[in-house]
Amino acid sequence: MDRSSVLNALPLPAWSLVLCAMVLWLAGGSVLAAEPTTLEEGGSFDVRSAYLEPSDHVYHLNATLDLAFSRAAAQALRDGVPVVVELDLDVDRRRSLLPDARVASLVQRWQVSYHALSERYLINNLNNGEQASYASLADALGALSDVRRLPVVEESKMPPGGHFEASVRVIASIEGGLPSALKTMMFWMDWKRTSEWYTWTVRL
Amino acid sequence: MDSPAVNAEPTSFTSSRRSIVVLVLTALAILASAASLALLTVTAQDATLFASLQSSLLIVNLIGVVVLVVLIGQKLYGLWRDWRRRVPGSRMKARAVLTFSGLALLPIMIVYMFSVNAINRGIDSWFDVDVGRGLDNALALSRAALSLRVKEFSARTATLAEELHGVRDAELVTQLERARRFAGAAELIVVDDHGRIVAASTDFAASILPKMPAEDVLREARHRQSYVSLEPAADGGYRVVTARVVAASSAGAPRVLVASYGVPEQLAGLADGVQHSVEQYGQRTYERPYLKSSFTLTLTIVLLLSALGAVYGAFFWATRLVRPVHDLIAGTQAVGKGDLNLRLSLPSHDEMGMLVHSFNEMTKRLGRARADAERNRTAVDQERARLAVVLARLSTGVISLDADLVILIANSAAGAILSLDLESSVGRPIDALALASPFGEQFVAACRRHLDSGQSDWREQLQFRTDGGRRELMVACTTLPAEAGEKPGLVLVFDDITTLLRAQRDAAWGEVARRLAHEIKNPLTPIQLSAERMRRRLLADLNPRDAEILERGTHTIVQQVEAMKEMVNAFSEYARAPAMERVVFDVNQLVTEVAELYRSHGTAAVTLDLDASLGNIDADRGRVRQVLNNLLTNACEALEGQPDSVVKVATCRAAFGGHTFLQLTVSDNGSGFSPELLNQVFDPYVTSKPKGTGLGLAIVKKIVDEHGGRVDADNAPEGGGRVRIVLPLDDAGREWLSMQDSREGLKADLRRERA
Repeated sequence: MDRSSVLNALPLPAWSLVLCAMVLWLAGGSVLAAEPTTLEEGGSFDVRSAYLEPSDHVYHLNATLDLAFSRAAAQALRDGVPVVVELDLDVDRRRSLLPDARVASLVQRWQVSYHALSERYLINNLNNGEQASYASLADALGALSDVRRLPVVEESKMPPGGHFEASVRVIASIEGGLPSALKTMMFWMDWKRTSEWYTWTVRL
Repeated sequence: MDSPAVNAEPTSFTSSRRSIVVLVLTALAILASAASLALLTVTAQDATLFASLQSSLLIVNLIGVVVLVVLIGQKLYGLWRDWRRRVPGSRMKARAVLTFSGLALLPIMIVYMFSVNAINRGIDSWFDVDVGRGLDNALALSRAALSLRVKEFSARTATLAEELHGVRDAELVTQLERARRFAGAAELIVVDDHGRIVAASTDFAASILPKMPAEDVLREARHRQSYVSLEPAADGGYRVVTARVVAASSAGAPRVLVASYGVPEQLAGLADGVQHSVEQYGQRTYERPYLKSSFTLTLTIVLLLSALGAVYGAFFWATRLVRPVHDLIAGTQAVGKGDLNLRLSLPSHDEMGMLVHSFNEMTKRLGRARADAERNRTAVDQERARLAVVLARLSTGVISLDADLVILIANSAAGAILSLDLESSVGRPIDALALASPFGEQFVAACRRHLDSGQSDWREQLQFRTDGGRRELMVACTTLPAEAGEKPGLVLVFDDITTLLRAQRDAAWGEVARRLAHEIKNPLTPIQLSAERMRRRLLADLNPRDAEILERGTHTIVQQVEAMKEMVNAFSEYARAPAMERVVFDVNQLVTEVAELYRSHGTAAVTLDLDASLGNIDADRGRVRQVLNNLLTNACEALEGQPDSVVKVATCRAAFGGHTFLQLTVSDNGSGFSPELLNQVFDPYVTSKPKGTGLGLAIVKKIVDEHGGRVDADNAPEGGGRVRIVLPLDDAGREWLSMQDSREGLKADLRRERA
């Protein structure tokens, strides 16, 4: 079969499609060649316990988190990539016939970073601007894991007799500290880790 | 004339809307590609700008890619469908798309590969090994510079801790204030073993209350007796935090002195700059593979956009290129199916436009030629129809033969004259007529005699013997004009002139009879008178013997003269044509009357077979009586001396050509007509009887002709002669019969009925 007959035998511009496939392969290969280090690799990430405690007419959140970065994530942190840890809290009032009502919603964010010159890990409270430094990542994560007396809602908004449920979860992501160039890549890769919701009934 | 155009869009609105959509999409794709490429160029040195715009561009480009993929998918499906259906032009379009796409994609791929390589190399160049090492050295240098300060501050704290040994709590604050100023510390805090601040001195203007030292500071200090660290401040700068265990007094447990020192601003600024550079470099290093992927992704999508745009453009141009060819193919097929009114729209004024113009011109001329041919064919058909009508109306027989003497055309008159069914003989050789009947055989033989001798134009009067008697035909043959290179055909034209000749003969005999009667009858009376006078004058004067001779002589003269008078009167009767005296009478009654005469005086038995429903006819009663007398006399004379002789007279209705006629048949059981005389029995002076004048049947025929009828004589199959007379019962029948120029038609009908 000569060349022209081969071309005649092809109903579609097959080799054009082959070229397109090569382009896609190259593009995909280029993207995959980045070998991204995600937060999913190793480590643990969960809300171990949480409860609301009234004090001075305000309910405070006390929670114990289980935060452990993988080795790769720790290395990324040491390379200067900050990690944002976010604590989401929702308090809902359960109603029998009506839809649930959102009583309170809180987002507490911290940024964990590594200060190369002092060789210390810094935790910046993004809500109030406070900063604390720690000699090791374990100390820093230990400090983050123990959430104490985080004001949530006034007692008056949660009257006795109501059925209230609180849910809390923790999210770790690197988006906040990274240049936006990587945000595009995050479109393709999971650089965000979210724990399951920890939900309990608030005892008034 | 309106000329339909091939592949005209359903509506201009749809076409324009589709064109606008395609233009907008194309413009968007070009803009997005150009913007992406420009962005790649501009941001080669500034990743921040690239990052800020990349997402939007990627989304736009991805939308463009998706749109183009959908459009190209539609095009590919359409092309595949056309390919499967073998739509004209689909293969050419596929090859054109293949070629255009290949020509466009190949350089795009090459550029893409070089671009990816250049991007990777460019990004890698940002992360030079020397830069990283330099930053590491700067960091180490900064640490070294700060560590000197840290050691100095740690020593100061140790001295202060020793000075605080043994100081009472009441003096502790004063001592701390003094020591802080002396040591140049920013803050001094004494914490007891329960973690409570015992005393503090600070120069932080913002801090009213001293901040509790971190737990790890106290723990480390108690564990190792000292603690020192460099900590970045939240508001910028650095501070050195040191801690020393103050030796326990006798009063209680050892305490911890925590001292904070501020780093000089210049040193802190330099160190902060190094820290910032190291941090940025570390982030960039970490981002490097993602930046590569990001640039590559952008470039890939731009390339995809360009490649898909090229493929779509290939479809667009292939469609434009193939459309005139497709139109031409469709037009050719339409022309092949006979649609010559098709006109293709001119795609352009290039060679393809000239081709389309030539095609339109060709179909236009073909249309004209076909219209001319159609007109000519119609004219020929009309001429043929006219010719067929003329031939059908002609009493002259016409047979058209080709060069191989195969019958092409034969009119009905030819079949009637030859007593043959020539319609079934069309397409067969003329020799086939010879097998049909003896008459046909004689006719073919006569024609063959001329044709075999090479005569193609001839004319001859031919005589044939048929069952119905002698037939005389005037036959002419001539050559038909032929196309160039073809053998000419022949046409045979013949006419039955038997009747004509008979009429001429009858006319001649009538004239002879009239003159003979006139010339002979005139002297007969003087002869008779003279003979009678001679007898009257001389008879008395002669002796008996002479008188007897005279008597016999004059008697013979008078008798012969009387006989001659009778004969002359018969001649005169035959020749004269007195006016017809038509009356309406009952023919059966007349037949019965005449038959009664012959029953009483005749020599043969006369039987009647009369149709009671026949009714009256309009005719000359006397002449019809004469016809009956002549026929019965003829039959009785023919039966003289024959025992059991019977003459049968029958009347009935007969139908010919949709008309009703009176049919009178007189037959006998005698010997019949002799075959030699059968064809001439109606000619004057043709008789087989010794005493006959030969005028009986001639007069019968003359009277029948005067009534517009027909007479025929033959021998019955069971034996005996038979004369049949057909008389019209009304004017329509008479007119129809008179239109039968050829008597043979009726004769043929008679023969068929007889058969």
